[in-house]
Amino acid sequence: MNDFIAMIKGDYLQRTRSYAFLITLAISLYIAYTFVPPPDANYTTVRIGNYIGDYNSAWIGHVTAIMTSVFLSLIGFFLVNNSVKKDIETEVGMIIATTRVSNFSYLMSKVLSNFLVLLSITAIVFVMSIGIFFLRSSGFDFEISSFLIPYLFVTIPSLFFISSLAVVGEVFLGRRSVIQYIAFFFLFNVIIANVQVGKGSEFITWVDPFGVKVVTMGLENHIKTIMGSDERVASMGFNFSSKNELKVFVFNGMDWPIGFLVSRLLWFAFGVGLVLLSSKFFHRFDVREKIRLVKKSKVLSEITEHVSPKTISLTSLPAITTDHGITAFIKTELLMLYRKGPRWFWLFNAGGMIALIFAPREIAHQFILPVLWFLQVGRWSDLTTKEKTNRIHHFTYAAYQPLRRLLPSQLIAGIILALVLASPLFVRYAIAQQFLPIAGIVAGGIFIVLFAACLGIISGGKKLFEVLFFAITYMNINLIPFADYFGFSPTYTSILLVLTLSLLLAALSGLVRSYEIRHS
Amino acid sequence: MSLVIQNLSKKYNKEKYGLRDYSLTIEKGILGLLGPNGAGKSTLMKIIATISKPTSGILTLDGNDLIHDPNYIRKMLGYLPQDFGVYANLNAYEFLTYIAAMKGVGGPNLKSRIEMLLEGVNLIEAARLPIGTYSGGMKQRIGIAQALLNDPKVLIFDEPTVGLDPEERVRFRNLISNLAHDCIIILSSHIVSDIETIADAVAIMKSGTLITTGTQADVIAQVEGKVFETIIDSTALEAFRAKQFVVNTIRQKDKMRLRYISNQPVPSSTPFAATLEDAYLFLTKSNN
Repeated sequence: MNDFIAMIKGDYLQRTRSYAFLITLAISLYIAYTFVPPPDANYTTVRIGNYIGDYNSAWIGHVTAIMTSVFLSLIGFFLVNNSVKKDIETEVGMIIATTRVSNFSYLMSKVLSNFLVLLSITAIVFVMSIGIFFLRSSGFDFEISSFLIPYLFVTIPSLFFISSLAVVGEVFLGRRSVIQYIAFFFLFNVIIANVQVGKGSEFITWVDPFGVKVVTMGLENHIKTIMGSDERVASMGFNFSSKNELKVFVFNGMDWPIGFLVSRLLWFAFGVGLVLLSSKFFHRFDVREKIRLVKKSKVLSEITEHVSPKTISLTSLPAITTDHGITAFIKTELLMLYRKGPRWFWLFNAGGMIALIFAPREIAHQFILPVLWFLQVGRWSDLTTKEKTNRIHHFTYAAYQPLRRLLPSQLIAGIILALVLASPLFVRYAIAQQFLPIAGIVAGGIFIVLFAACLGIISGGKKLFEVLFFAITYMNINLIPFADYFGFSPTYTSILLVLTLSLLLAALSGLVRSYEIRHS
Repeated sequence: MSLVIQNLSKKYNKEKYGLRDYSLTIEKGILGLLGPNGAGKSTLMKIIATISKPTSGILTLDGNDLIHDPNYIRKMLGYLPQDFGVYANLNAYEFLTYIAAMKGVGGPNLKSRIEMLLEGVNLIEAARLPIGTYSGGMKQRIGIAQALLNDPKVLIFDEPTVGLDPEERVRFRNLISNLAHDCIIILSSHIVSDIETIADAVAIMKSGTLITTGTQADVIAQVEGKVFETIIDSTALEAFRAKQFVVNTIRQKDKMRLRYISNQPVPSSTPFAATLEDAYLFLTKSNN
């Protein structure tokens, strides 16, 4: 048992002692702060028809609990789904494979470590929600149970389920991160669509892993009791429609149905069951070499054994000339972007580009382009971190003017990829003689690549960008206006804003990379 | 060509130094850096390779300040780090072309230069395969090839023989010897014999400081006349160790043949000619 706890502790500490975790924590806090909008804000998060709750303990406790449940489930999956992968990359897994630890124990330790990481964020958000109460509440009594209970019944089981799902994803989809992301993206949307829209039965509250439906139904019932009408439907998410007509009611908390409480325990059990099932299929670090041999029939040792090497003399080597250009860098960076991930995955990109040609132009720009760009998350996320993860940085940092030559090449290659993928839309807009959207897309391509580069350099890893890019794409698809970085509704001001942000990201990337080069 | 290191220090925190008040002048030829783990060999090499910045001190190459103008040495630097990786999806040609771009070299002869280097490190036949499929020794040889891409005048090899089999080690030593005429070569290794066979000068380090430097003969002279061998019962080994500085033990049935360094040899000991390994062990392990 001590060994089991030590494994969880080690894994947890390793992951929380990273800049990526701290930055994610800071961003989570900021987003949690928006869960309860200030009175003059132009959006709502939870509303029931035209009703929102007065800011008492019950309302703030329940709203922040369900928003945290959904939000952390969304980004939490991305944050934690690399625990087994890390053990493969560091080759610690090979040591683990030789120990007596069972597959189930190992995978459960990963689930619990994931769970602890997400709980740590939740704990901070929880404290912040109490802070929000004291900041925004007007004269209501503070009731700690109104905060604790919704987090306990709604948020915590969701996070355990997500923690399990992340490990299961790693077992079955291994290193194919992008496939995991896409699969989770669809699963998440199905769950949200199932629980958010329209009226629900008690059964739906049981099959809702995020535990949201029971609260929204409770709120609807509360309004029905007050108003005597059941026409009002609860909605959740950042809603930017007019707040002029909103009325305020006092929400005093939920009566939690026993069936729902049992279902929450069952979600824990379901998570454990999934892990148990996965443990039967777990590779236990007997991972096949991913690099494809060009000449499979030839064994490398055979190739090299029977050749006599020539003597090298520096003076007899062909003379080389100085070349401080960056073309060779850009070519190689593009080559690496192209070869990243399985080749067949380019079929998705080709399919996306064809869809950009034939889908209605609005759909193509608003939905297909952000998704197509999101599919490149694996390519862009390590654009500026691959030197360190591949341990090339000793070469690159000792290179001739690495900051002026290598970093721009990486950015240019990333931007070229973005623009090539978006090119069918350029053609369509050009034919229609609409040039502002073209400028918007170009600005968006520049921004997203610089965003990836900057987050990679600052956090030292790719996770932070992956998490945020997913969240941004999710917001794009849900038409949240401030997430429109790719110029769907472009104005000169918005394009200028995106380009200014890009410039700031470029400057920050350059500063931090320069510091790294000088102080590595 | 002269690389001058004056009072160089690298301080990590209040108490921990990677390098402490280190001074050395390095001329053309091969300098072998010897020292136990944590001695500061890699730290020194990283500072010379401009990857790491010292906390204080002076580092110049032919009078040019490398701390403030690292690009001066980068143009003529070949560096093989101790722990380096590769881009697994690139083949040897592509990887070396990429490194050449980093070094700011190119031109029409680059391809044939890469080919000749690959022939020299015995990788030409595997050059079209992704580097991810290479063995540890093959990756190490790619590392050696990249260090020679740009007509280097300063070559830094940090533990270059790690992962090489005995035949490859010999080949590497020959290669280094051939390159030494026109360059400064700094070579670190745990394997004293690698240094012993090729280094013109030796610097022995311990805990971030320079213990001694000079030609191999200068260093060996510090223990000359103090190296002895004797044979004792196995059971007496610990007691012997407590009194004498033992550098080597060989088991012979129930006896032990011991090689030790001492000013006061035990009776029945036979004097032996000192080696670089004797001097290295004595200087780094003994309290003297």
